[in-house]
Amino acid sequence: MLKSLSNILRLTVKELRAIRGDLVMVALILYVFSAAVWLVSDAGSTEVKDLSVAVVDEDHSPLSARIIDEIRAPLFEPPALLSPREAASAQTDGDYVLVVSLPPDLERDLRRGDAVEIQILADATAVAFAGNGSSFMTQLLADTVSDYLAPGGESDDLVNVVFRSRFNPNMTTRWFTSVMQLMNNVTMLMLILSGASLIRERERGTIEHVLVMPVRPHEIVLSKIFATGGVILMASVLSLVIVVQGAMGVPIAGSLTLYVLGAAIYVISMGSMGLMLASFTHNMGQFGLLTIPVIVIMILLSGGITPLESMPGWLQIVMRTISPATHFVSFAQSVLYRGAGLDLVIGQLAAMVAMSLIALTLVLARFRKILS
Amino acid sequence: MEHVARLNAVSHRYKAVFALDDVTLDIPAGKVVGLIGPDGVGKSTLLGLIAGVRKAQTGEIAVLDRDMRDVRARSALGARIAYMPQGLGRNLYPTLSVRENLDFFGRLFGQKHAERHERIAMLTEATGLAPFLDRPAGKLSGGMKQKLGLCAALIHDPDLLILDEPTTGVDPLSRRQFWELIDRIRAKLTGMSVLVATAYMEEAERFEWLAAMNDGKVIATGTPEEIRAQAGKATLEEAFIEMLPKEEGEEVGVTLRPRPEKDGAVPAIEAFDLVKRFGDFTAVDHVSFTIPEGEIFGFLGSNGCGKSTTMKMLTGLLQPTEGRSKLFGEELENGDMAARRNIGYMSQAFSLYAELTVRQNLELHAKLYHIPPERRAARVREVLDEFELTDVAGAMPDGLPLGIRQRLQLAVATIHEPRILILDEPTSGVDPLARDAFWRKLISLSRDKGVTIFISTHFMNEAERCDRISLMHAGRVLDVGAPQELTERRGAATLEEAFIAALEGEARAENAPPETASLSAEMAVAAPNALHRAASRLWAYTARETLELMRDPIRMFFALAGPIILLITMGFGISFDVDKLSFAVNDMDRTPESRRLIEAFSAIPQFDQQADYDTLEAVDRRMERGDLTLAMEIPDGFGKALHQGQKAPEISLWVDGSMPFRGETAEGYALGLLTQFAHDLATETGTQARSNLSISTRYLYNQAFKSAHAMVPSMLMLILMLIPAIMSAISVVREKETGTIANFRATPVRKVEFLVGKQLPYIVIAWFNFWVLAGLGLWIFGVPLYGSLPVLGLAALFYVIASTGFGQLMSSFTRTQVSAVFATAVLAIIPTVNFSGLVTPVSTLAPMGRMLGQSFPGAWFQPISIGTFLKGFGLGDVAQNILVIAAFCLIYLTLAVLALRKQEA
Repeated sequence: MLKSLSNILRLTVKELRAIRGDLVMVALILYVFSAAVWLVSDAGSTEVKDLSVAVVDEDHSPLSARIIDEIRAPLFEPPALLSPREAASAQTDGDYVLVVSLPPDLERDLRRGDAVEIQILADATAVAFAGNGSSFMTQLLADTVSDYLAPGGESDDLVNVVFRSRFNPNMTTRWFTSVMQLMNNVTMLMLILSGASLIRERERGTIEHVLVMPVRPHEIVLSKIFATGGVILMASVLSLVIVVQGAMGVPIAGSLTLYVLGAAIYVISMGSMGLMLASFTHNMGQFGLLTIPVIVIMILLSGGITPLESMPGWLQIVMRTISPATHFVSFAQSVLYRGAGLDLVIGQLAAMVAMSLIALTLVLARFRKILS
Repeated sequence: MEHVARLNAVSHRYKAVFALDDVTLDIPAGKVVGLIGPDGVGKSTLLGLIAGVRKAQTGEIAVLDRDMRDVRARSALGARIAYMPQGLGRNLYPTLSVRENLDFFGRLFGQKHAERHERIAMLTEATGLAPFLDRPAGKLSGGMKQKLGLCAALIHDPDLLILDEPTTGVDPLSRRQFWELIDRIRAKLTGMSVLVATAYMEEAERFEWLAAMNDGKVIATGTPEEIRAQAGKATLEEAFIEMLPKEEGEEVGVTLRPRPEKDGAVPAIEAFDLVKRFGDFTAVDHVSFTIPEGEIFGFLGSNGCGKSTTMKMLTGLLQPTEGRSKLFGEELENGDMAARRNIGYMSQAFSLYAELTVRQNLELHAKLYHIPPERRAARVREVLDEFELTDVAGAMPDGLPLGIRQRLQLAVATIHEPRILILDEPTSGVDPLARDAFWRKLISLSRDKGVTIFISTHFMNEAERCDRISLMHAGRVLDVGAPQELTERRGAATLEEAFIAALEGEARAENAPPETASLSAEMAVAAPNALHRAASRLWAYTARETLELMRDPIRMFFALAGPIILLITMGFGISFDVDKLSFAVNDMDRTPESRRLIEAFSAIPQFDQQADYDTLEAVDRRMERGDLTLAMEIPDGFGKALHQGQKAPEISLWVDGSMPFRGETAEGYALGLLTQFAHDLATETGTQARSNLSISTRYLYNQAFKSAHAMVPSMLMLILMLIPAIMSAISVVREKETGTIANFRATPVRKVEFLVGKQLPYIVIAWFNFWVLAGLGLWIFGVPLYGSLPVLGLAALFYVIASTGFGQLMSSFTRTQVSAVFATAVLAIIPTVNFSGLVTPVSTLAPMGRMLGQSFPGAWFQPISIGTFLKGFGLGDVAQNILVIAAFCLIYLTLAVLALRKQEA
């Protein structure tokens, strides 16, 4: 047992040396956990923020000026004022997600009590924004108009609502996307690195050499996971503390220790998956082609980009069964945002552990086959 | 032309180490010239410089009277020089058949079909490969691989043939046949000069002119007779050893001391009827033998006769199909750790860690064999000393010459002082001096320490040093006995003759050398024009890459099925159609009004009502678990106030904001419902005259507002970027790793021809993928197509050229397949997933993200794809974007050309 541990340790050190020796890889890992996390969480988000809007103002009244004035940050970009034709072609080119068209005599008709329609044209090819963007725009238009027509007056609606967002008061997505981006990076790097380290040993014949020694297959497999996993886990925790919390100013609600525990389990599960994929392929060419779809599916269907609930039922079941990423996403949401304790996330942790065990068992079962 | 190559003051260094030190040498033309000398003295470097595959550093090199430093001279000479690099079949393509390999080389020199056909027939006839034209090169024996390599080298009638250790690792029979073949060819092609590096001194005897090298310098030149006379020795081997600078008291020669007999001892190794089958191929066929402790037992046989497989079974690496084996009387079990500590194994190919230094490799093995820590450092030092590795202890194994690497492997195999050493061709490629030293060590291990040594070799003088040898052929043991005994039994003068006689008896049928070699030098060669030659070279790479891809059905399957699987899971999986948001109520009012409000929520499919809650803590807990997205509290007195037309107490809504998109959507729906509720109430009670404003939303281009309609065209962008890039990412770097890049370096093929040729098959597959994906989008997902399909196809063609080009660019500057795949995946996934409009439209990205997205072809193709499907775009609308994508293609190709090196450093 002690010997086994010391073997694993020694092989782990060897793997670490191999990682350090590949400068391209080290540079890419650094880039992924620093600049890429920042860029992605800063730029790509599904929250309605700085949405590009154009206004076709055919009224030119104080009311329309007021409306144009009200369309502003943080939800919308200051609107561009366009003619109907310009607006149509610009929207076709994908320049604006929303076009608000204010009809002629808007203010006069409203004051007279005539029926008026304001139209919002939403570019529905931007599915993530068209729906929420237009419902916020509708709200904004209705409030602006009623406020303008009855100035100063308190809202005279009978029904009033206090709206509170739990865990993320302003619903900023940077919180969310930054942590999800960290997870995506872990997914991508662990799958490729751990799998590639097995393929490389196989292509160079070094694995054969090690197997002649008093070393058991599971020691080789675990050392690979520990080495790559250690590097990636450390990079991701540092990135969480320095880049996400420090530089981007995202507050972390829950226990960092618990998060690191979950991240460690996730790293191990991804490493096991990578080795399993590698055990099904014979060379880097095959491994690359197999692993890319797996990475993309794990990242995009983890529940981190679109909610898991909106997937078809069968796909939810499949993803929950095969992808540790779905469990990690709900784990990370619970711990980092909601400050959940171990008792609430134990199920997700157990699921990830179970997946790692299954993947590792498969790798070990196929280990001898890999050689011949 | 008197000299085929002239070198003047040529020096070459790798970092601080001089491989060649001020070499001045004139090599006579029209002769077989041998370069002899120990490992690492610069023979390969010298040949590489003459062949033009290595970049000259200092000094002048003229080959066939042209200056090798001039690019145009090199390109012209490429067609007149043939270069066969070191290593068995290293420049051949293992999955391609003999004919396909030769076809490839013929095309590289612009030969037309008829000419190629004729030459291949002639060469394979002459080399005896004709019956095996359809066998994959990887399945040929070592000797046959070298013959094929020779055919490939001779296909264009070179004026200079450069062979770098062509017979290393080849059995004596094949070696003899190889040299006979060279002689026959030379008899026909009289003008050809041949330049050979070799470590076999007995081979050097047959060369017409020799240059002996040591330590980066030429120490003697002349005919073999002249060199022998200079040193006053009878054989070249002795003469060479004589000429080397000697260290004080160095031992020379090997003497085998008699082995002390130990009767009744348990044999070290016993094998009983071992059989190993791979599929229907029997590699080892009922092999049995017994090796007593302390014996040196030699294994002889042609390449691929089952020696290595037998050895692997005895180390426990391979499980025998039938039969069993014992080590020291103990049955060999698969996971037997104690048995492994008794064995030291050295495999045929170098199999130590290239990423660790010599010392680190030794230390790792010392630790893994659990040498006690207090002994460890001393043992590593001892071994470094013993195997003369102290000078290179800090070096990486990859940079070391073959002979030194073999010494390192043996050092590793003996570091734990095993009782049995299993050595698979340990001296292959090692020079005579080092081999003698090696054998002195083996003998001392055997005689002084009682180590049992089981060794395979192709050297007859080594076989003669064994206590007993076994002759193996085609998986069977032909004969076992002491060398003397075997020679006598066959009635031969030497062991080599006995061996060859035994093999020839077996192999006559399968490997008969042709009686009449019909090699004609006068081929009717119609000189094709330059353009045709360029096209032919490009096509050579296209055809080869295609064949290799087709021979790898797993890769082919992933390439074709991967995109389909991705589109189907993503198309169904990525959905922004939020519904069934979990929602719970705390109704403290319990009036018809409050129930009506709740009813409004539970009636629409977007909300899925869960069990009621009563305290805020319950909401917290449920939201922490992620079971609840929206909670609504209706305060007491709500209904009463409404009923009386008064302002109602505030309703509270809590939403789980940890997934912002879902939170926002829930908020939007809830506010909409509440506004509607208030509006209806106001109208009914008539308490307030509402304004007549109505606000309507029209969803353009996707009236049904279905996620799939918008996602599928964007997924095309994603899939057609990633899969083709990964496919092509290994194309160039794989050749660097396997060594076939030597063909690119040594032949007249240009960088652009090489790159484009290799890219074409991937473009075809990727474009085919596009049509399949577009079909799936139209028929499975029902995405409408309003624009022009041919225009989309055209754009997709440019797009896949760009994405495969990106992969090749990565492949051109990385050194290993691992880093190529890694770099391609990391660099491609982040911008295409995040900054190319897949989820977030490029128009709403922050400036940095937008820039990053637009520096990638994906962000330009996504609008085309969305536009043609949903917005009715035609050529005019997308022409500009297509031009940008075309520019990407050119930029990637240019960068790849710049990154690719035609010469080694």
